[in-house]
Amino acid sequence: MRKTRYLVAGVARRLSYRLKGSVLAVQDYVVLCGRGLHALVTPPRYGREILAQMDSLGVGSLSIVVLTGMFTGMVLSLQSAASLDAFGARPYVGRLVCISMVRELGPVLTALMVTGRVGSSMAAELGSMVVTQQIDAMRVLGSDPIRKLVAPRILAGMVMVPILTIISDTLGIFGGGLISIFSLQLSWMYYWRSVGSALVLNDLVMGLSKPMAFGFILASVGCHTGLRTTGGTQGVGASTTRSVVAASVMILAADFFITKLLLILFPVNR
Amino acid sequence: MSEPPLRDEPVISFRDVHLAFDRPILSGVSFELNRGSTKIVLGGSGSGKTTILRLILGLLKPDAGGIRVDGTEVGPLDEEELRDVRLKIGMVFQEGALFDSLSVGENVGYRLEEDEELEPEAIEERVREMLGFVGLAPFYDRMPSELSGGQRRRVAVARALAARPRIMLYDEPTTGLDPITATTITDLIVKVRDLDGVSSILVTHQLRDAFNVARTFVYRKNGEFVHNAIDDVSVLAGTEFLMLREGQVQFEGSAHELQTSSDPYIREFLS
Repeated sequence: MRKTRYLVAGVARRLSYRLKGSVLAVQDYVVLCGRGLHALVTPPRYGREILAQMDSLGVGSLSIVVLTGMFTGMVLSLQSAASLDAFGARPYVGRLVCISMVRELGPVLTALMVTGRVGSSMAAELGSMVVTQQIDAMRVLGSDPIRKLVAPRILAGMVMVPILTIISDTLGIFGGGLISIFSLQLSWMYYWRSVGSALVLNDLVMGLSKPMAFGFILASVGCHTGLRTTGGTQGVGASTTRSVVAASVMILAADFFITKLLLILFPVNR
Repeated sequence: MSEPPLRDEPVISFRDVHLAFDRPILSGVSFELNRGSTKIVLGGSGSGKTTILRLILGLLKPDAGGIRVDGTEVGPLDEEELRDVRLKIGMVFQEGALFDSLSVGENVGYRLEEDEELEPEAIEERVREMLGFVGLAPFYDRMPSELSGGQRRRVAVARALAARPRIMLYDEPTTGLDPITATTITDLIVKVRDLDGVSSILVTHQLRDAFNVARTFVYRKNGEFVHNAIDDVSVLAGTEFLMLREGQVQFEGSAHELQTSSDPYIREFLS
């Protein structure tokens, strides 16, 4: 009986410890985001760091985003044609590819690809800086790591992910067009006319606001998990994994809520 | 909160400082560091030596007690207010903590770059002067990954000295180095103390290096640095020892008092 009581008490203590840890992590994340955003709108700003991060996040991710967008558009064209044929609606493939890419697949897939490539490297880089005391050195030398490291990454995410998404959307629609012509026997002109008539204001608002939010999420989560790294090089590995998992889940959850909100604010009237 | 420091006031003072995480780290630590003097903090692993340096810099906050740095109580200060205190202090981290993405020159000039009033030419001149001081003048454009362990520590010393701090903190600067390289680091510590009159705290568990710093003094003769060592520790002044044991002060006094102490723990530590 006493043994069972000890066991229950032990489990309760561990649960309470983990729960407190989780609440503390959320609190730290909110504080980090607040301080990061505040640092973006107040001086001093580090232009060189901002440009370096934009280069690393934007230019560095271009190839994977191009390939992802292109193949997604192509496969979307093939799949939608198979379904639309059942209703004799094959000519609407362009419209379907365009709306799907701009409203949903372009922003989400781009953000997930960039999270895998850049969010993880942010966590690893900052985590390594924590375990080698470089973050402490930065504070001692008079720099605020939030201003110097976090704010440029957040800004780069919020600016470059929308740009990458536009590129991904364009190539996705272009890829869908290639399949429509060479595999579905639709005319090039007809495909693009269908694409052009598909977009409304809501699509553009959704297509640009989502990637901006996703860019913020992937950068802030990468920085947060990196700066909370403990336990040496093993801890850096754990932070990297945690950052990708947490940012991916947050992006998908945020996608739902942003979509719901924008559908209320900007109802679709086609 | 911050008052002008009095001339005779200790440059750093700890008053009954307590700190605990999941176990007590420091329990009632009190000591003072006088202007221009050196305090060598000894102790085993986990005794709280590095914690003392982190508390001085405001990287950690004490649970209780007071820490005063150059007339300023650092405990209640926030990150922005701590910046002014930190500008008076140079810190050499255990492994150097050089920024991997910056060259040696950029590392040494890091704090100067933060000062927007300084011209790039003035920064470069000061950086080259500091690299010359630590004997690494040709390494200006090298990256930290190209340096040996001893060279990284010397660059860390140059970086800490670049903004002419009045207080220097060294966290195990010779750990993991061979005896000859360790001597180059201790010689630098002595140079900074004797030529610039900088107050310093040296945290170490390397007894040989601790006594090297206590015994050696340096002066300039015909433009050359001359190092001398005193074998009789009873005449040494200006360098004191502080020994920590499980977060408490086990001993505080001169090198001579340390060597002649009858405390069994100290005897075992020194043996």
